[in-house]
Amino acid sequence: MSSSIQIVLGIAMIFGAALAAPWLQRLLGARLGPVLALAPVIMFGLCIKAAPAVASRDALRLDIPWATELGISLSFFIDGFSLLFLLIISAVGTFVVLYAGGYLHGSPTIGRFYLFLLSFMAAMLGIVSADNLILLFVFWELTSITSFLLIGYDHEEEESRKSSLQALLVTGGGGLAMLAGFVLLGHLAGTYRISEILALPSGQLAAEPSFPLVLGLILLGAFTKSAQFPFHFWLPNAMAAPAPVSSFLHSATMVKAGVFLLARLHPCLSEHPLWTPVVGGFGAATMITGVFLGFGQTDLKKILAYTTLSVLGTLTMLLGIGTELSIKACLIYLLAHALYKAALFMTAGAVDHETGTRDINTLSGLRGPMPLTAIGAVIGALSMAGCPILVGFISKEYFYKALLDAEGPPFLWEIAGVSASMVMTALAIIAGIRPYLGTVAKTPKHPHEAPWTMWIGPLVLGGFALKFGILPGWVGDHLITPAARAVLGQADYHAHLKLWDGLNTALLLSLVTVIGGLILYALSRSWREHSGKLYAVLNAMGPQRAYFGILNGTLSFAKWQTSLLQNGKLRNYVLTVGAFTVFLILLVLPRNRFAFDPAAMAPVSLLGVLVCLFIIVAAVATCFVKSRFTAILTLGVVGLGIAMIFFMSSAPDLAMTQVLVETLTVVLFVLAFRNLPLLKDYSSKTIRIRDAVAAGAFGIVMTCLVLVAFQFRNTPSEVAAFHSANSLPAANGRNVVNVILVDFRALDTLGEITVLGVAALGIYAMLRMNPTKP
Amino acid sequence: MNSLILKMTTRLIMGLLLVFSVFLLLRGHNLPGGGFTGGLVAASAFALQALAVGTREARATLILDPRTIIGLGLAISLASGFPSVLAGQTFMTGIWDKTVLPVVGKIGTPLVFDVGVYFVVLGVVLLFVLSFANNSDTEARKESQWN
Repeated sequence: MSSSIQIVLGIAMIFGAALAAPWLQRLLGARLGPVLALAPVIMFGLCIKAAPAVASRDALRLDIPWATELGISLSFFIDGFSLLFLLIISAVGTFVVLYAGGYLHGSPTIGRFYLFLLSFMAAMLGIVSADNLILLFVFWELTSITSFLLIGYDHEEEESRKSSLQALLVTGGGGLAMLAGFVLLGHLAGTYRISEILALPSGQLAAEPSFPLVLGLILLGAFTKSAQFPFHFWLPNAMAAPAPVSSFLHSATMVKAGVFLLARLHPCLSEHPLWTPVVGGFGAATMITGVFLGFGQTDLKKILAYTTLSVLGTLTMLLGIGTELSIKACLIYLLAHALYKAALFMTAGAVDHETGTRDINTLSGLRGPMPLTAIGAVIGALSMAGCPILVGFISKEYFYKALLDAEGPPFLWEIAGVSASMVMTALAIIAGIRPYLGTVAKTPKHPHEAPWTMWIGPLVLGGFALKFGILPGWVGDHLITPAARAVLGQADYHAHLKLWDGLNTALLLSLVTVIGGLILYALSRSWREHSGKLYAVLNAMGPQRAYFGILNGTLSFAKWQTSLLQNGKLRNYVLTVGAFTVFLILLVLPRNRFAFDPAAMAPVSLLGVLVCLFIIVAAVATCFVKSRFTAILTLGVVGLGIAMIFFMSSAPDLAMTQVLVETLTVVLFVLAFRNLPLLKDYSSKTIRIRDAVAAGAFGIVMTCLVLVAFQFRNTPSEVAAFHSANSLPAANGRNVVNVILVDFRALDTLGEITVLGVAALGIYAMLRMNPTKP
Repeated sequence: MNSLILKMTTRLIMGLLLVFSVFLLLRGHNLPGGGFTGGLVAASAFALQALAVGTREARATLILDPRTIIGLGLAISLASGFPSVLAGQTFMTGIWDKTVLPVVGKIGTPLVFDVGVYFVVLGVVLLFVLSFANNSDTEARKESQWN
């Protein structure tokens, strides 16, 4: 079995584990977490096993036909860049699954939680290995939906519900824009296959006039998903989710999907001159916004969320710069961030779980009661602050090198990068070190060490951060080089990483960052105390205001038009439908010519004239009778008259159906109206005149329509000819109408009878509701 | 409603109507008729019984609940699409037995499909008729517990 099949089966296995989780919950009890963690462990093993093959060849592929006519297939494509993500997702995923078992211990709905979490994991693995734009989109939206379900896991809290809806609307809306971008891109390239699009000759797509639109739409999808400014507000709000979700979706994986997409399509999209200013610019704005807003926070998880925002901005900015060096820096930064941020979120969750608070002003001295959590947190914080021999140091070094190397206005990138990193260093101390130092403070719960499932993750991830920091050469050769080759589209690129690169400007900037970070840390408490008003003003004016404006505007518009159109009065419904139909027909009717030729008509028989008179008399009578029964009967007479016309025009099928339907309608009307009072003059004269005008207009327009349609009477139609010719030989039936219904277009009929059945059940349910009973 | 003449007539023509509905269903492939019209005729037979004799009797003759009939019809129609899949053709390709049977004619999956349509139409109409009759009839209101 080839490695690509194994990896795709691995993704399927995780979907399977997700579906099994709610059932396994009853069977396994507290062991559910450790057992389910086996799924990502196996996935991790499969990825390790595939690594040499990916490094030696350019990519693993697997193709399963799906809707091939539309150019959509289940095609998977695993190159070095996919593999980096696959490894991060399955490694962090393993510890998150374990961690959730401890964090949500005893929760009756933990099986459901695992259903969402593992579905998300499988979808995320799918995004990074998809080779088809549409398949990627399917997985992409699946992560949005699972993220919605996970943020709203505590669905009894209003804040959770609001935040989850916000995340869904922002990322889902961006996803729709991205789909439009994908369709346009597929149209321009002539294929939806990502590997083929990337292999097109350089500059071919970027020269297309509609390419800026494609770029804009895809960026909209990536920016909303990766919470770039001005769409950043949903990510801090998503911290309403339980800690395992924050550490997995909203730091290490899902929010990186946008970065992944930008990097994946980098060889194609970056050819346009707008790429660097737009992507680099929004990235830098997000980087600064994130740390600035985070610096005023007191909630442990929110601080981490804002630093995540800043890092996402950094990664986007590095992709926007787009040099070899900046891509290398982006990849190593991405790896380092996944390791330390997942660990920090897990320790923050553990602290919250054991002490009952996340307020940094009350947390203190936790190294005594929670020593293992403290070790994990401190390693993570040091890596985040960029301290030597941890991988965070390496990533910061290469980040600075990339900025020094970047083109553009002098010092702009450097100043932005260094100042953001300084604040980040201070925030790392605040969130990862400060709570564990000093004397033990009084907290809502008496703190003690978390269960093993909750500290194992931070410790192992911290161990990786240390190992990668000491052996950067190995990371460079085996993880970053294959990934960078894929992102750059250069097969012979090699990424060297070194721990000690001599005394240079980047090292100097690192030193400045650490000193600046310590100074900012010293100032942080008084800043938080005095800046409350500033943040309140910023919050009130921020882009979130636009979000709520649009949301509430849409809701009140919906309310307004619903109460206008669906006010519960049958007569108004009929009026609306009729008037709108007339309006639509009148839009197109004048474009047709009336080729009404009396000579072409069938001879008018006396019987025909009599039947028509009969119908007219009955119809007029319906409008003026005073009793419902009479009205029903006269209406029935109209229907039967029409059936007569069908008979005379040799349409026995129609006539028979018309008679039957008419009969049953009369029966139903009689049954329904039997208990209603006599008709009264409910409506004023004006309303009656209005109704008469509407009805008259409808009748006149329909008559015109028939007269226009008359000229097409003898136009030969391919469809009709086909059905007549093939009815007997192909479908063994002489009654063409019926053959169309049950054979040629049987799928349509199946749909129709399904609708009929469902509608009947709906009406039945309404009839069973007795409004007189409470 | 309490009319002896109507009751007796109903008893006489009920069977005729049902036979006629099956006749329409079977001949539909070659001559006017089919599952839809057949179903409507059968439904009108039961509607007549419900009006003339009572909803309780109509339900008893029907044996199955209208909702079950709808489900049954949908299942039959859906199932008729699968034999062609097993034979390696696309879903819902008609498969016919070429021998002509007396009365019924040729047997094929489209006929089975039409039988499904017949039942869905019968079920839908009777669901309306019987629940309207139940709702508007005080005597029948007690029957809704029996339902």
